[in-house]
Amino acid sequence: MPSYNLYMGCSVPANYPNYETTLFRVADKFGIELIYMEGVSCCGSPNLRAMDYLGWLIVNARTLAIAEKNGHDIVTPCNGCFGSLKDVYHFLTHNADYKEKVNAELKKTGVEFKGTIKPRHFIEALYNDVGIDEIRKNITKPLDGVGIAIHYGCHLLRPQDVTEFNPEIFDDLIRVTGASVVEYPLWKQCCGATVLPVNEELAIRLARDKLKSMKEAGAAFATVSCPACANQLDLQQLGLKESYGEEYNLPVLFITQILGLAMGMKDDEVGLAMNRVPADPILEHLSG
Amino acid sequence: MTETEEKADPPAVMIEPIDISKLDPDFREGIRSMPNGEELSACFACSTCTAACPIASTWKYKPHQLIRMILLGMRKEVLSSEEIWLCLTCFECQERCPQNVRVTDIFFDCKNLAAEEGMIPDSIVGLARELTDKGQLYVVTADWEREDMDLEPEVPGLSTEEFKTILKGTRTGRIVGGDE
Repeated sequence: MPSYNLYMGCSVPANYPNYETTLFRVADKFGIELIYMEGVSCCGSPNLRAMDYLGWLIVNARTLAIAEKNGHDIVTPCNGCFGSLKDVYHFLTHNADYKEKVNAELKKTGVEFKGTIKPRHFIEALYNDVGIDEIRKNITKPLDGVGIAIHYGCHLLRPQDVTEFNPEIFDDLIRVTGASVVEYPLWKQCCGATVLPVNEELAIRLARDKLKSMKEAGAAFATVSCPACANQLDLQQLGLKESYGEEYNLPVLFITQILGLAMGMKDDEVGLAMNRVPADPILEHLSG
Repeated sequence: MTETEEKADPPAVMIEPIDISKLDPDFREGIRSMPNGEELSACFACSTCTAACPIASTWKYKPHQLIRMILLGMRKEVLSSEEIWLCLTCFECQERCPQNVRVTDIFFDCKNLAAEEGMIPDSIVGLARELTDKGQLYVVTADWEREDMDLEPEVPGLSTEEFKTILKGTRTGRIVGGDE
Protein backbone atom coordinates (compact mmCIF):
# COMPACT_ATOMS: atom_id res chain seq x y z
CA MET A 1 0.00 0.00 0.00
CA PRO A 2 1.65 3.20 -1.15
CA SER A 3 1.96 6.08 1.33
CA TYR A 4 2.28 9.71 0.39
CA ASN A 5 2.72 13.04 2.07
CA LEU A 6 -0.48 14.95 1.33
CA TYR A 7 0.06 18.61 0.56
CA MET A 8 -3.38 20.22 0.49
CA GLY A 9 -2.45 23.84 -0.19
CA CYS A 10 -4.94 26.49 0.90
CA SER A 11 -7.70 26.53 -1.70
CA VAL A 12 -9.00 22.96 -1.61
CA PRO A 13 -9.58 22.86 2.18
CA ALA A 14 -11.17 26.32 2.22
CA ASN A 15 -13.28 26.11 -0.91
CA TYR A 16 -13.70 22.52 -2.02
CA PRO A 17 -14.25 19.99 0.79
CA ASN A 18 -15.99 17.87 -1.87
CA TYR A 19 -12.63 17.51 -3.67
CA GLU A 20 -10.76 16.83 -0.44
CA THR A 21 -13.15 14.15 0.78
CA THR A 22 -13.26 12.34 -2.58
CA LEU A 23 -9.48 12.35 -2.64
CA PHE A 24 -9.52 10.30 0.56
CA ARG A 25 -12.42 8.09 -0.49
CA VAL A 26 -10.77 7.21 -3.79
CA ALA A 27 -7.41 6.67 -2.09
CA ASP A 28 -9.08 4.36 0.46
CA LYS A 29 -10.45 2.13 -2.30
CA PHE A 30 -6.91 1.32 -3.36
CA GLY A 31 -5.31 1.17 0.07
CA ILE A 32 -3.40 4.39 -0.51
CA GLU A 33 -2.33 6.13 2.67
CA LEU A 34 -2.44 9.94 2.53
CA ILE A 35 -0.62 11.65 5.39
CA TYR A 36 -1.46 15.31 5.98
CA MET A 37 1.86 17.15 6.12
CA GLU A 38 2.77 18.71 9.47
CA GLY A 39 3.79 22.35 9.70
CA VAL A 40 3.14 23.40 6.12
CA SER A 41 1.13 26.27 4.66
CA CYS A 42 0.37 27.83 1.26
CA CYS A 43 2.56 27.50 -1.89
CA GLY A 44 2.22 31.23 -2.53
CA SER A 45 0.86 30.68 -6.06
CA PRO A 46 2.30 32.23 -9.25
CA ASN A 47 1.60 35.62 -7.65
CA LEU A 48 4.29 35.05 -5.05
CA ARG A 49 6.65 33.81 -7.75
CA ALA A 50 5.98 37.03 -9.67
CA MET A 51 6.82 39.42 -6.85
CA ASP A 52 9.28 37.48 -4.70
CA TYR A 53 11.12 34.66 -6.46
CA LEU A 54 13.45 33.92 -3.58
CA GLY A 55 10.63 33.85 -1.02
CA TRP A 56 8.71 31.49 -3.30
CA LEU A 57 11.74 29.20 -3.58
CA ILE A 58 12.25 29.11 0.18
CA VAL A 59 8.66 28.36 1.23
CA ASN A 60 8.28 25.61 -1.36
CA ALA A 61 11.72 24.13 -0.70
CA ARG A 62 10.71 24.02 2.95
CA THR A 63 7.60 21.98 2.09
CA LEU A 64 9.73 19.57 0.05
CA ALA A 65 12.29 19.35 2.86
CA ILE A 66 9.61 18.51 5.44
CA ALA A 67 8.43 15.64 3.23
CA GLU A 68 11.98 14.34 2.96
CA LYS A 69 11.91 13.56 6.69
CA ASN A 70 9.67 10.51 6.21
CA GLY A 71 10.84 9.84 2.66
CA HIS A 72 7.42 9.63 1.00
CA ASP A 73 6.69 11.53 -2.19
CA ILE A 74 4.33 14.47 -1.95
CA VAL A 75 0.97 14.30 -3.66
CA THR A 76 -1.27 17.33 -4.10
CA PRO A 77 -4.76 17.74 -5.57
CA CYS A 78 -4.06 21.30 -6.78
CA ASN A 79 -2.45 22.20 -10.11
CA GLY A 80 -1.20 25.48 -8.61
CA CYS A 81 0.60 23.76 -5.73
CA PHE A 82 1.83 21.10 -8.14
CA GLY A 83 3.24 23.79 -10.45
CA SER A 84 4.99 25.59 -7.60
CA LEU A 85 6.46 22.47 -6.02
CA LYS A 86 7.52 20.92 -9.32
CA ASP A 87 9.10 24.12 -10.57
CA VAL A 88 11.00 24.74 -7.35
CA TYR A 89 12.10 21.10 -7.24
CA HIS A 90 13.30 21.25 -10.86
CA PHE A 91 15.02 24.60 -10.43
CA LEU A 92 16.86 23.74 -7.22
CA THR A 93 17.99 20.35 -8.47
CA HIS A 94 19.48 22.08 -11.54
CA ASN A 95 20.95 25.19 -9.87
CA ALA A 96 23.43 24.36 -7.13
CA ASP A 97 24.12 27.99 -6.18
CA TYR A 98 20.43 28.73 -5.56
CA LYS A 99 20.10 25.45 -3.68
CA GLU A 100 22.89 26.57 -1.37
CA LYS A 101 21.35 29.99 -0.92
CA VAL A 102 17.91 28.54 -0.13
CA ASN A 103 19.37 25.97 2.26
CA ALA A 104 21.20 28.71 4.14
CA GLU A 105 17.78 30.22 4.87
CA LEU A 106 16.13 26.89 5.60
CA LYS A 107 18.84 26.07 8.13
CA LYS A 108 17.28 28.69 10.42
CA THR A 109 14.07 26.63 10.44
CA GLY A 110 15.89 23.35 11.04
CA VAL A 111 15.35 21.65 7.68
CA GLU A 112 17.42 21.10 4.56
CA PHE A 113 16.31 20.58 0.96
CA LYS A 114 18.12 17.62 -0.58
CA GLY A 115 15.84 16.70 -3.48
CA THR A 116 15.29 13.12 -2.33
CA ILE A 117 11.50 12.97 -2.77
CA LYS A 118 9.34 14.09 -5.68
CA PRO A 119 6.27 16.29 -5.75
CA ARG A 120 3.47 14.73 -7.78
CA HIS A 121 -0.13 15.42 -8.69
CA PHE A 122 -2.48 12.95 -7.01
CA ILE A 123 -3.87 11.74 -10.34
CA GLU A 124 -0.41 10.93 -11.67
CA ALA A 125 0.38 8.89 -8.56
CA LEU A 126 -2.95 7.11 -8.84
CA TYR A 127 -2.33 6.31 -12.49
CA ASN A 128 1.26 5.17 -12.18
CA ASP A 129 1.32 3.54 -8.74
CA VAL A 130 -2.14 1.92 -8.69
CA GLY A 131 -2.57 1.48 -12.41
CA ILE A 132 -5.50 1.60 -14.79
CA ASP A 133 -6.21 -2.15 -14.60
CA GLU A 134 -6.62 -2.04 -10.85
CA ILE A 135 -8.87 1.02 -11.17
CA ARG A 136 -10.97 -0.74 -13.83
CA LYS A 137 -11.67 -3.62 -11.43
CA ASN A 138 -13.33 -1.16 -9.07
CA ILE A 139 -15.68 0.47 -11.59
CA THR A 140 -19.12 -0.75 -10.61
CA LYS A 141 -21.27 2.06 -12.01
CA PRO A 142 -19.86 2.72 -15.46
CA LEU A 143 -20.52 6.09 -17.06
CA ASP A 144 -21.10 4.56 -20.47
CA GLY A 145 -22.09 7.05 -23.12
CA VAL A 146 -21.31 10.15 -21.05
CA GLY A 147 -19.23 12.78 -22.89
CA ILE A 148 -16.76 14.58 -20.63
CA ALA A 149 -14.49 17.46 -21.62
CA ILE A 150 -11.23 17.56 -19.68
CA HIS A 151 -9.72 20.85 -18.58
CA TYR A 152 -6.18 19.72 -17.78
CA GLY A 153 -5.00 23.10 -16.53
CA CYS A 154 -1.85 24.98 -17.49
CA HIS A 155 0.31 24.17 -14.50
CA LEU A 156 -0.36 20.45 -14.79
CA LEU A 157 0.80 20.39 -18.42
CA ARG A 158 3.38 23.12 -18.83
CA PRO A 159 6.27 23.65 -18.95
CA GLN A 160 6.42 19.96 -19.86
CA ASP A 161 10.14 19.60 -19.12
CA VAL A 162 9.31 20.67 -15.57
CA THR A 163 5.89 19.08 -14.93
CA GLU A 164 6.71 15.81 -16.75
CA PHE A 165 2.96 15.27 -16.99
CA ASN A 166 1.44 13.32 -19.85
CA PRO A 167 -2.15 14.44 -20.63
CA GLU A 168 -3.07 10.89 -21.66
CA ILE A 169 -3.07 10.02 -17.96
CA PHE A 170 -6.10 12.22 -17.50
CA ASP A 171 -7.77 10.83 -20.64
CA ASP A 172 -7.30 7.25 -19.43
CA LEU A 173 -8.69 8.05 -15.99
CA ILE A 174 -11.87 9.34 -17.63
CA ARG A 175 -12.12 6.50 -20.15
CA VAL A 176 -11.71 3.81 -17.49
CA THR A 177 -15.05 4.96 -16.04
CA GLY A 178 -16.73 4.15 -19.34
CA ALA A 179 -17.17 7.83 -20.22
CA SER A 180 -15.83 9.21 -23.47
CA VAL A 181 -13.36 12.09 -23.68
CA VAL A 182 -14.83 14.95 -25.69
CA GLU A 183 -12.12 16.61 -27.77
CA TYR A 184 -12.49 20.36 -28.14
CA PRO A 185 -10.34 22.99 -29.86
CA LEU A 186 -9.30 24.95 -26.77
CA TRP A 187 -8.26 21.95 -24.67
CA LYS A 188 -4.84 23.41 -23.94
CA GLN A 189 -6.04 26.89 -23.14
CA CYS A 190 -5.89 28.64 -19.76
CA CYS A 191 -8.98 29.05 -17.55
CA GLY A 192 -7.90 32.60 -16.68
CA ALA A 193 -7.50 32.12 -12.92
CA THR A 194 -4.07 33.72 -12.56
CA VAL A 195 -5.15 37.00 -14.09
CA LEU A 196 -8.28 37.31 -11.95
CA PRO A 197 -6.68 39.66 -9.38
CA VAL A 198 -5.43 42.12 -12.02
CA ASN A 199 -8.14 42.00 -14.69
CA GLU A 200 -11.44 40.36 -13.84
CA GLU A 201 -13.03 41.13 -17.19
CA LEU A 202 -10.26 39.32 -19.04
CA ALA A 203 -10.45 36.37 -16.64
CA ILE A 204 -14.18 36.04 -17.27
CA ARG A 205 -13.65 36.19 -21.04
CA LEU A 206 -11.15 33.34 -20.83
CA ALA A 207 -13.51 31.19 -18.78
CA ARG A 208 -16.22 31.87 -21.35
CA ASP A 209 -13.95 30.86 -24.24
CA LYS A 210 -13.28 27.53 -22.55
CA LEU A 211 -16.89 26.77 -21.67
CA LYS A 212 -18.07 27.71 -25.14
CA SER A 213 -15.48 25.48 -26.77
CA MET A 214 -16.42 22.52 -24.54
CA LYS A 215 -20.11 22.99 -24.99
CA GLU A 216 -19.92 23.38 -28.77
CA ALA A 217 -17.94 20.14 -28.97
CA GLY A 218 -20.86 18.37 -27.30
CA ALA A 219 -19.63 17.90 -23.74
CA ALA A 220 -22.28 16.96 -21.19
CA PHE A 221 -19.86 17.47 -18.29
CA ALA A 222 -16.44 18.94 -17.70
CA THR A 223 -13.78 17.78 -15.31
CA VAL A 224 -10.90 19.52 -13.54
CA SER A 225 -8.05 18.62 -11.20
CA CYS A 226 -7.52 22.04 -9.65
CA PRO A 227 -9.50 24.32 -7.32
CA ALA A 228 -8.52 27.51 -9.20
CA CYS A 229 -9.75 26.02 -12.47
CA ALA A 230 -12.96 24.97 -10.68
CA ASN A 231 -13.46 28.58 -9.57
CA GLN A 232 -13.17 29.73 -13.13
CA LEU A 233 -15.19 27.04 -14.88
CA ASP A 234 -17.84 26.17 -12.30
CA LEU A 235 -18.37 29.22 -10.08
CA GLN A 236 -17.74 31.69 -12.89
CA GLN A 237 -20.69 30.29 -14.84
CA LEU A 238 -22.86 32.22 -12.40
CA GLY A 239 -20.91 35.40 -13.24
CA LEU A 240 -21.34 34.76 -16.96
CA LYS A 241 -25.07 35.04 -16.58
CA GLU A 242 -24.56 38.62 -15.44
CA SER A 243 -21.69 39.75 -17.65
CA TYR A 244 -22.60 38.04 -20.91
CA GLY A 245 -26.21 37.02 -20.33
CA GLU A 246 -25.23 33.48 -21.23
CA GLU A 247 -26.08 30.23 -19.52
CA TYR A 248 -23.87 27.25 -20.16
CA ASN A 249 -25.33 24.80 -17.62
CA LEU A 250 -22.22 22.68 -17.95
CA PRO A 251 -21.63 20.76 -14.71
CA VAL A 252 -17.96 20.73 -13.68
CA LEU A 253 -16.81 17.83 -11.51
CA PHE A 254 -13.48 17.07 -9.92
CA ILE A 255 -11.84 13.97 -11.36
CA THR A 256 -12.08 12.26 -7.97
CA GLN A 257 -15.83 12.89 -7.87
CA ILE A 258 -16.21 11.22 -11.26
CA LEU A 259 -14.05 8.26 -10.22
CA GLY A 260 -15.96 8.01 -6.94
CA LEU A 261 -19.36 7.92 -8.63
CA ALA A 262 -18.14 5.32 -11.12
CA MET A 263 -16.89 3.23 -8.19
CA GLY A 264 -20.36 3.25 -6.66
CA MET A 265 -20.16 6.15 -4.20
CA LYS A 266 -23.38 7.99 -3.45
CA ASP A 267 -23.94 11.61 -4.44
CA ASP A 268 -23.63 12.84 -0.85
CA GLU A 269 -20.39 10.91 -0.38
CA VAL A 270 -18.83 12.80 -3.28
CA GLY A 271 -20.39 16.11 -2.16
CA LEU A 272 -22.25 16.67 -5.40
CA ALA A 273 -24.50 19.32 -3.80
CA MET A 274 -21.44 21.58 -3.37
CA ASN A 275 -20.82 21.91 -7.11
CA ARG A 276 -22.14 25.34 -8.10
CA VAL A 277 -23.65 24.32 -11.44
CA PRO A 278 -26.03 21.51 -10.46
CA ALA A 279 -24.09 18.34 -11.20
CA ASP A 280 -26.86 15.87 -10.40
CA PRO A 281 -27.65 15.20 -14.10
CA ILE A 282 -24.74 12.77 -13.87
CA LEU A 283 -26.86 10.69 -11.50
CA GLU A 284 -29.41 10.17 -14.24
CA HIS A 285 -26.71 8.67 -16.40
CA LEU A 286 -25.74 6.36 -13.58
CA SER A 287 -29.26 5.18 -12.91
CA GLY A 288 -30.26 5.11 -16.57
CA MET B 1 10.38 56.35 -58.46
CA THR B 2 12.47 59.50 -58.27
CA GLU B 3 10.98 60.91 -55.12
CA THR B 4 14.16 60.41 -53.12
CA GLU B 5 14.27 64.09 -52.17
CA GLU B 6 11.09 63.69 -50.20
CA LYS B 7 12.94 61.67 -47.61
CA ALA B 8 12.89 64.63 -45.22
CA ASP B 9 9.32 63.64 -44.62
CA PRO B 10 9.20 60.70 -42.26
CA PRO B 11 7.53 57.58 -43.58
CA ALA B 12 4.22 56.49 -42.13
CA VAL B 13 5.14 55.62 -38.56
CA MET B 14 4.25 52.05 -37.66
CA ILE B 15 6.07 52.05 -34.37
CA GLU B 16 7.46 54.80 -32.21
CA PRO B 17 11.13 55.45 -32.95
CA ILE B 18 13.47 54.14 -30.27
CA ASP B 19 15.70 56.72 -28.63
CA ILE B 20 19.05 54.97 -28.36
CA SER B 21 20.29 57.32 -25.64
CA LYS B 22 17.54 56.04 -23.35
CA LEU B 23 18.42 52.37 -23.69
CA ASP B 24 19.99 50.48 -20.80
CA PRO B 25 22.71 48.22 -22.20
CA ASP B 26 22.91 46.26 -18.93
CA PHE B 27 19.26 45.23 -18.93
CA ARG B 28 19.79 42.28 -21.28
CA GLU B 29 22.56 40.82 -19.14
CA GLY B 30 20.56 41.50 -16.01
CA ILE B 31 17.68 39.35 -17.28
CA ARG B 32 20.05 36.72 -18.69
CA SER B 33 21.53 36.21 -15.25
CA MET B 34 18.12 35.75 -13.62
CA PRO B 35 16.42 32.35 -13.18
CA ASN B 36 15.84 30.66 -16.56
CA GLY B 37 16.94 33.75 -18.50
CA GLU B 38 19.99 32.08 -20.10
CA GLU B 39 18.44 31.48 -23.53
CA LEU B 40 17.14 35.04 -23.93
CA SER B 41 19.60 35.98 -26.69
CA ALA B 42 18.59 32.97 -28.79
CA CYS B 43 15.36 34.76 -29.76
CA PHE B 44 15.21 35.29 -33.52
CA ALA B 45 11.91 37.18 -33.37
CA CYS B 46 9.77 34.59 -35.16
CA SER B 47 6.81 35.63 -32.95
CA THR B 48 5.65 32.06 -32.38
CA CYS B 49 5.22 33.06 -28.73
CA THR B 50 2.78 35.78 -29.72
CA ALA B 51 0.83 33.40 -31.95
CA ALA B 52 0.58 30.98 -29.02
CA CYS B 53 -0.60 33.57 -26.48
CA PRO B 54 -4.37 33.50 -25.88
CA ILE B 55 -4.49 37.20 -24.97
CA ALA B 56 -1.69 38.90 -26.94
CA SER B 57 -4.29 40.38 -29.29
CA THR B 58 -5.26 42.73 -26.45
CA TRP B 59 -1.67 43.75 -25.62
CA LYS B 60 0.08 46.89 -26.77
CA TYR B 61 3.45 45.12 -26.58
CA LYS B 62 3.21 41.49 -27.76
CA PRO B 63 5.34 38.75 -26.15
CA HIS B 64 7.92 38.69 -28.98
CA GLN B 65 8.15 42.47 -28.82
CA LEU B 66 8.75 42.40 -25.07
CA ILE B 67 11.59 39.92 -25.60
CA ARG B 68 13.03 42.19 -28.32
CA MET B 69 12.66 45.20 -26.02
CA ILE B 70 14.64 43.38 -23.33
CA LEU B 71 17.38 42.60 -25.85
CA LEU B 72 17.46 46.24 -26.94
CA GLY B 73 17.64 47.48 -23.35
CA MET B 74 14.23 49.12 -23.08
CA ARG B 75 14.22 48.61 -19.36
CA LYS B 76 11.76 51.31 -18.37
CA GLU B 77 9.16 50.37 -20.98
CA VAL B 78 9.31 46.67 -20.10
CA LEU B 79 9.28 47.02 -16.34
CA SER B 80 6.47 49.57 -16.32
CA SER B 81 4.35 47.70 -18.86
CA GLU B 82 1.05 46.32 -17.66
CA GLU B 83 1.49 43.34 -19.97
CA ILE B 84 3.96 41.56 -17.71
CA TRP B 85 1.33 41.53 -14.95
CA LEU B 86 -1.42 40.42 -17.31
CA CYS B 87 0.56 37.34 -18.32
CA LEU B 88 -1.63 34.31 -17.61
CA THR B 89 1.46 32.23 -16.78
CA CYS B 90 -0.06 29.52 -18.97
CA PHE B 91 3.38 28.76 -20.51
CA GLU B 92 1.94 28.34 -24.03
CA CYS B 93 4.56 30.76 -25.44
CA GLN B 94 7.46 29.10 -23.67
CA GLU B 95 6.31 25.63 -24.65
CA ARG B 96 6.26 26.50 -28.33
CA CYS B 97 9.44 28.59 -28.63
CA PRO B 98 11.63 26.92 -31.25
CA GLN B 99 14.71 28.48 -29.66
CA ASN B 100 13.97 27.31 -26.11
CA VAL B 101 13.64 30.85 -24.81
CA ARG B 102 11.82 30.49 -21.52
CA VAL B 103 9.45 33.35 -22.29
CA THR B 104 7.03 32.93 -19.38
CA ASP B 105 9.88 32.44 -16.92
CA ILE B 106 11.52 35.62 -18.27
CA PHE B 107 8.30 37.56 -17.68
CA PHE B 108 8.43 36.28 -14.09
CA ASP B 109 11.96 37.71 -13.89
CA CYS B 110 10.68 41.04 -15.23
CA LYS B 111 7.93 41.14 -12.62
CA ASN B 112 10.47 40.49 -9.88
CA LEU B 113 12.59 43.41 -11.09
CA ALA B 114 9.53 45.62 -11.38
CA ALA B 115 8.41 44.64 -7.87
CA GLU B 116 11.87 45.43 -6.52
CA GLU B 117 11.46 48.93 -7.92
CA GLY B 118 7.98 49.31 -6.47
CA MET B 119 6.19 48.97 -9.79
CA ILE B 120 3.59 46.45 -8.71
CA PRO B 121 -0.20 46.48 -9.09
CA ASP B 122 -2.18 47.29 -5.94
CA SER B 123 -4.06 43.99 -6.19
CA ILE B 124 -0.77 42.09 -6.02
CA VAL B 125 0.35 44.17 -3.03
CA GLY B 126 -2.95 43.09 -1.48
CA LEU B 127 -2.03 39.45 -2.02
CA ALA B 128 1.40 40.07 -0.48
CA ARG B 129 -0.40 41.39 2.60
CA GLU B 130 -2.65 38.32 2.76
CA LEU B 131 0.44 36.11 2.66
CA THR B 132 2.29 37.95 5.44
CA ASP B 133 -0.83 38.49 7.61
CA LYS B 134 -2.60 35.17 7.23
CA GLY B 135 0.13 32.92 5.87
CA GLN B 136 -2.08 31.67 3.05
CA LEU B 137 -4.26 32.97 0.24
CA TYR B 138 -7.44 31.15 1.29
CA VAL B 139 -8.50 30.60 4.89
CA VAL B 140 -11.11 28.06 5.99
CA THR B 141 -14.24 29.94 7.03
CA ALA B 142 -17.05 27.43 6.48
CA ASP B 143 -15.73 24.67 8.73
CA TRP B 144 -19.21 23.11 8.93
CA GLU B 145 -18.92 22.33 5.23
CA ARG B 146 -15.78 20.36 6.01
CA GLU B 147 -17.55 18.47 8.79
CA ASP B 148 -20.45 17.71 6.46
CA MET B 149 -17.90 16.04 4.24
CA ASP B 150 -16.43 13.98 7.12
CA LEU B 151 -13.30 16.15 7.27
CA GLU B 152 -11.66 17.70 10.31
CA PRO B 153 -13.03 21.25 10.77
CA GLU B 154 -9.47 22.57 10.82
CA VAL B 155 -6.95 21.49 8.22
CA PRO B 156 -4.69 18.89 9.88
CA GLY B 157 -1.02 19.89 9.99
CA LEU B 158 -1.56 23.45 8.81
CA SER B 159 0.88 25.90 10.38
CA THR B 160 1.32 29.40 9.00
CA GLU B 161 3.81 30.97 11.42
CA GLU B 162 7.06 29.92 9.78
CA PHE B 163 5.68 30.74 6.34
CA LYS B 164 4.88 34.28 7.48
CA THR B 165 8.28 34.69 9.11
CA ILE B 166 10.08 33.60 5.94
CA LEU B 167 8.17 35.99 3.69
CA LYS B 168 8.51 38.92 6.08
CA GLY B 169 12.26 38.51 5.64
CA THR B 170 12.22 38.47 1.84
CA ARG B 171 10.91 40.93 -0.75
CA THR B 172 7.27 40.24 0.16
CA GLY B 173 7.97 41.80 3.55
CA ARG B 174 9.50 44.87 1.93
CA ILE B 175 6.55 45.22 -0.46
CA VAL B 176 4.13 45.14 2.44
CA GLY B 177 6.27 47.22 4.79
CA GLY B 178 6.92 49.89 2.19
CA ASP B 179 3.22 50.60 2.00
CA GLU B 180 2.63 51.30 5.64
